[in-house]
Amino acid sequence: MGLPAESTEAYHGGVLVRAPTLSRRPRGSLRLRREARLAYALLTPTLLVVLFLVAYPFFSAMYLSLQNKMVGSPGRFVGLENYAELLRDEVFLRTAWNSVVYTLVAVAIKFVLGLTMALILDQSRRFNNLFRTLLFLPWAVPVVIVSLNWRWIFDDLSGFLNNFLITFHLTHDIISWLSDPRLAMGCVIAVVVWAGTPFYAMTFLAGLQAIPKELYEAAEIDGASIVQQFVFVTVPRLRTIFVTTIMLSTIWTATNLQFVLILTRGGPASRTQIFPHLAYEIALGARRLGMGAAVSLVFFPLLVVLIILLTRRMLRERED
Amino acid sequence: MASVVRTRRLLKWVGNGLLVVLLVWTLVPFYWMIATSLKKDREIYGFEATLIPRHPSLDSYRRLFATTPFVKYMRNSTIIAVSTTLASLVFGSLGAYALARLRFPGRSVIARGLIFTYLVPPSLLFIPLFAVMSVLSLIDTREGLILAYLGFTVPFCTWLLLGYFRSVPLELEEAALVDGCSRLSALVRVILPMSLPALAVVAFFSFTQAWNEFLYANVFTNSVEVRTITTGLTLFIVEDVFFWGPMMGAACLASIPPLVVYLAFQRWVVKGLTLGAVKG
Repeated sequence: MGLPAESTEAYHGGVLVRAPTLSRRPRGSLRLRREARLAYALLTPTLLVVLFLVAYPFFSAMYLSLQNKMVGSPGRFVGLENYAELLRDEVFLRTAWNSVVYTLVAVAIKFVLGLTMALILDQSRRFNNLFRTLLFLPWAVPVVIVSLNWRWIFDDLSGFLNNFLITFHLTHDIISWLSDPRLAMGCVIAVVVWAGTPFYAMTFLAGLQAIPKELYEAAEIDGASIVQQFVFVTVPRLRTIFVTTIMLSTIWTATNLQFVLILTRGGPASRTQIFPHLAYEIALGARRLGMGAAVSLVFFPLLVVLIILLTRRMLRERED
Repeated sequence: MASVVRTRRLLKWVGNGLLVVLLVWTLVPFYWMIATSLKKDREIYGFEATLIPRHPSLDSYRRLFATTPFVKYMRNSTIIAVSTTLASLVFGSLGAYALARLRFPGRSVIARGLIFTYLVPPSLLFIPLFAVMSVLSLIDTREGLILAYLGFTVPFCTWLLLGYFRSVPLELEEAALVDGCSRLSALVRVILPMSLPALAVVAFFSFTQAWNEFLYANVFTNSVEVRTITTGLTLFIVEDVFFWGPMMGAACLASIPPLVVYLAFQRWVVKGLTLGAVKG
């Protein structure tokens, strides 16, 4: 938020003690205990939510992944059997590869396109506010609607893309965008990029606009070219935003299953299968909860590194 | 110097060109969604399919309202999104106040835990959460879904408000405390009125996230009475047959609430973004 954080310690150390109302109250540890009790009371709803809706399910996912539990029947403890089965499974290995490609390519394109968008919107131009609003629109549309709409654009017989290409004689044959094994992953990534680029552009634009214009003027007087200005003024100032944005986006891109669920259901022949969707299919399609939990957790060690780094980063940014 | 000026002019033109390309890329899908919703079936499918509706009609919308539970889905979404927003605002404000202004053991652990919690993705939690919901008989209820959404809105709201509350000058609150205000009334009368922009951001994010959410809604609900519009939409697909006209009509209408709040809150949104507010 960029707002100076007050030190609460200084507050409790000095100011509060000077507050006259407090002189009537018991002093010292009793007062602190009372403050702590109020604090816990105020935090109760938040803590309950965190414990029951996030922490408990999280640990229970780990335990579940060690069982052969099905929907509606109690599970038996099977140790690492689920994981062992996964490693022998060809679909799983393909899914692992797909997930990595899908995430890296989508994030890379969103980054480049988002930066381009932000740089363009940072130029001065008439109606720039209108253009900004229009370019950011995809961000506000529910992902389900985005995916359904694109599925319809990609439709073999009546979709916009084939319709357009044939009308303007750019192709004679119908292209099966989502069912051609060579094209499907590219199409899914295109949709992810369409929906996700505005997020990058928004954060980058905010960063660009926070750079003092004097820095560029000074660089220009020193004879820096436009490229040099970009490399030595813009990039260093945006580095923090770059890293935070990419980390957040990586977590959410890698774990979002809605695009795949609606566009391809992992097909054709598992070409677009990614971890969260495979977990979904196994847990709810095949009703194997234990195995589903194992699939979603296999990916987690990678994510947890990101999450920990990001948590630290966000705390530090807040303290600055 | 001269070359910098020349490069800048060149970049301006390159920028204009790219802007046009990006606008086309961004807006064509919107166009197709709206155009489809205004066509009759004859123009939607097969050899007579058109790029521009030749005879625009509201037929799809009529079918949508007459033959599908669209209105019910929209009502459910509204109830769920509004309740989630209100609960998040209240819980978030209380928790953030404690973390910002009170001293107690475990404070920094909780603050840290909040971000961590927020970053744990729903696709990891939905399987065990499904079990939790079953045990509590909350499957297929609005309350259950609201509760599930609080799992990601409350940690974020608390975290965002915490930063903002800290920036409210202490002197104002002290004055209120000296005047005999309790802590809670200091929060309500002094801090909250000064934090309106942050509350706006929090309300915006809770509402859009709850409105747009799909995974939990899809897993935890199944009856028409409870389903939200995002999962209801996918039910328009019957046995792999898509009714694209009404579906695109529903898609247009269902996008309106989040788009309207986005347009209304635009200038505050970007501030929240860098704090990790949005799943992009």
